[in-house]
Amino acid sequence: MALVLKKYLRLFSILVKTSFIADLEFRVNFSLRIFTDILWYFMQILSFEILFNYTPLIGDWDRYQMRVFLGVLFIVDSLYMVFIQENADRFADKVRKGELDFILAKPVSSQFMVSFQKIATASFTNLLIAIAFFLYTVAQLEGFQWYRLFWFFLVIPTSLIVIYTSRFFFSCLNLIFVKSESVQFLWYNCYKLGLRPDSIYFPTVKLILLTVLPMSFVASVPTRMILEPPNTYLICWSLVIGPLSLYLSNIFWRYCLRFYTSASS
Amino acid sequence: MKHWLKRNLAFARLGIQTNLEYRFNFFIDAIVQPAMTAGIEIFLWFALFAATNTETLNGYSKESYLAYVIWAAFVGRIAISWMYEHMMMDEIETGSINAIILRPMTFFEYYLSQLLGYKLVIFLFSSLVPLSIVLYFGLPTALNRLPLVALLIFYYLIFIHAMSFMTACLAFFLNRVRSFTLVKNFTIYIVSGELFPLDLLPTFWKKLFLNMPFAAGVYLPVGYLTNRISTELFLTGFINISIGLVVVLFLSYIIWRKGLRSYSGTGA
Amino acid sequence: MSPAIEVKDLNRVYYSYKKSVGLWSSVKGLWNRQHVEKVALSDISLSIPSGEVIGLVGANGAGKTTLIKILSGLIAASSGEVNVLGYNPFHRRNEFLRKISVLLGQKNQLWWDIAPVDSYQLLMSIYDLDVNKSQKKIKELADILNCTHVLETQLRRLSLGERMKMELIGALLHDPQILFLDEPTIGLDIVAQTSIRNFLSAYVKDKKPTIILTSHYMDDISKLADRLLIISKGRLFYDGSIDKFTQKSVQKKRLKLIFENPTKNAIRISDDVLIMPGTKNLDLEVEPTKMAEIITQIAQFQSVQNISTEEIDFEETIREFLKTQQ
Repeated sequence: MALVLKKYLRLFSILVKTSFIADLEFRVNFSLRIFTDILWYFMQILSFEILFNYTPLIGDWDRYQMRVFLGVLFIVDSLYMVFIQENADRFADKVRKGELDFILAKPVSSQFMVSFQKIATASFTNLLIAIAFFLYTVAQLEGFQWYRLFWFFLVIPTSLIVIYTSRFFFSCLNLIFVKSESVQFLWYNCYKLGLRPDSIYFPTVKLILLTVLPMSFVASVPTRMILEPPNTYLICWSLVIGPLSLYLSNIFWRYCLRFYTSASS
Repeated sequence: MKHWLKRNLAFARLGIQTNLEYRFNFFIDAIVQPAMTAGIEIFLWFALFAATNTETLNGYSKESYLAYVIWAAFVGRIAISWMYEHMMMDEIETGSINAIILRPMTFFEYYLSQLLGYKLVIFLFSSLVPLSIVLYFGLPTALNRLPLVALLIFYYLIFIHAMSFMTACLAFFLNRVRSFTLVKNFTIYIVSGELFPLDLLPTFWKKLFLNMPFAAGVYLPVGYLTNRISTELFLTGFINISIGLVVVLFLSYIIWRKGLRSYSGTGA
Repeated sequence: MSPAIEVKDLNRVYYSYKKSVGLWSSVKGLWNRQHVEKVALSDISLSIPSGEVIGLVGANGAGKTTLIKILSGLIAASSGEVNVLGYNPFHRRNEFLRKISVLLGQKNQLWWDIAPVDSYQLLMSIYDLDVNKSQKKIKELADILNCTHVLETQLRRLSLGERMKMELIGALLHDPQILFLDEPTIGLDIVAQTSIRNFLSAYVKDKKPTIILTSHYMDDISKLADRLLIISKGRLFYDGSIDKFTQKSVQKKRLKLIFENPTKNAIRISDDVLIMPGTKNLDLEVEPTKMAEIITQIAQFQSVQNISTEEIDFEETIREFLKTQQ
């Protein structure tokens, strides 16, 4: 087990290094990626700041709490950008061009190789920016108790797992349908549900977002760990749903592989 | 002239034909995606009005915002170009553009006509959704303005295509230029008024954005359709697009010329 | 009559930047890049009369694709004069483009997601062709190529050979005066190759277009071309008839023999061929005229399990030819 883990860690570190070299090659792209994300952060901040000019609360959060929410969102999103996005974007291409053949023929977990072949090194910069923004928003909170960061860190892996598995689920559909780029937009729309605080949704929708389509875990739940006293149910549930989603994603991956016919000619 | 029209109609048909070939994609593109966007935004505005406990926000009712949000999601989806911009970039990056520029037609018109054809079908299909929603819930919409609004949107699409063309031409000089699309379209998302009605912005920004051609993509057509803005303001959209079009076409012509000269016709 | 293609002192240089390996040099490459110049074509002068079929040959990277790109107007020459049908090709005037056609064996020019007939419709509008005439022509060409049955299937569902036939019809639809064929038979099986070769040969006799043809297959060139151009390292190396070329470089075939048992003793076949003891597989380069003689000779000494002959790769012949000239 430890040996397997070591192998994958080594593999991962090589992938990081090669990704870095590859990314530097395209320097304009490198800086543009950083810039795009900053623009996206700006968009999110702007939309809430403007709305707060007209209302004291959105859902049950005020302007300052909403900023913390955005800080959490940016951290999670930049992690997603670093580790997941590019691989998922390329997935459809890999299937169409038959590259998946090579991956399947190698003696490592195909899900791992498909999911983590490329690291977007440029987005590390955004991670730093996101962390800085997050710390700033937290420092602005009145009477913030720093120990809550512990609960925050406890649920962050679940947050990433939820993003990863949901995106991966939609990627897998590429194996079943040809030319399903649009399916990826569908994922983005699901993700968008997580980009808003879950308190704005009606109760039934809220319940769905905590269970079947657990997008609340993207940012709302981690934010609650910071803004509110620890909620035992929520913490326990997040520790269950993370591993569960990973397990289900692997089953689904194997199921979808049965539809895969390598691209001929 | 007649010949020019004939081949461009053929391109428009190609745009329609290739997109309808993949029905599933088309359905998601035209219906599901804007519907979901609208759905999420609607929640936000409900929550907002619930929190403020007022009848109006910045002078407009809840119904007015809902109508705006629903139309904006659909119009915003139409008045943007992702796919064809990426296709143009691909052609330049892979060198398959060779097959196009060696035919007696222009790269610009070839993709413009495809885009317009494709957007026309999307428009016809997808506008049925907001139309039925606003009619069913009685949300404020001036339907008699729809033809004029459609005209502005399609004029705007020519401008958007010119922007796409200019962005795609960067692929002559740089590798992997898709990030430019992202930056550009994100910016358009804000300044066109798809994110929120531009009148919510502080005066300075509002004025600035209203004087750019991008407002003609979402804010002007949707604002006009939902009785938010006056006819005069709406009509400025045509002027702003025209000015923008001249500028962008001039710039892209220069980039295109320069690009072709430095181009080595990639690959074998 | 003025020549279809006239080229004088043509040069073409490419610029790129040097990339060294390793992480640190990648980081350094962010601000500091070394640019390098590469000469793709130098001092090419040519005159091609209308109606001639030119076989353009050279190793990979020799510059033949660059030459085709310049002649068709895709890229500009760095210096020199290029005149094709009275036009400067790089201006890409519509009148000029209507008169030429480019077919690239490795790339699709027809539309992937629609059927060839629909693609042809598009081409008719692009080239402003008469619909009835063109349809008749499509039918004719498809009949000859024996592929009428796939005209209405989406391009992406066709086999490589069928696709190439479809591309060929598309390229000929507007009766081009000059036809650029870049590897028209690459990747095809022998049957498809021969069928396309025969078709082109008949087409040339009938319509007399000017053709610039590149191919890795010796047979394509020898069967179709009137005149051979060899490019090496960006320079025009040989310009003349194929017969003269074949006289100069002796064409050999590869003879492969597998013996039932390894040879026990050394066997001398001729002055320059000696089979060593213990040989099981034999691989010889032989002149076609001497083939039979050599086989009979060997068979006298050794029982043979299997005999096969192969064309020596055209590139190889060329390389050998170029070596002898140095």
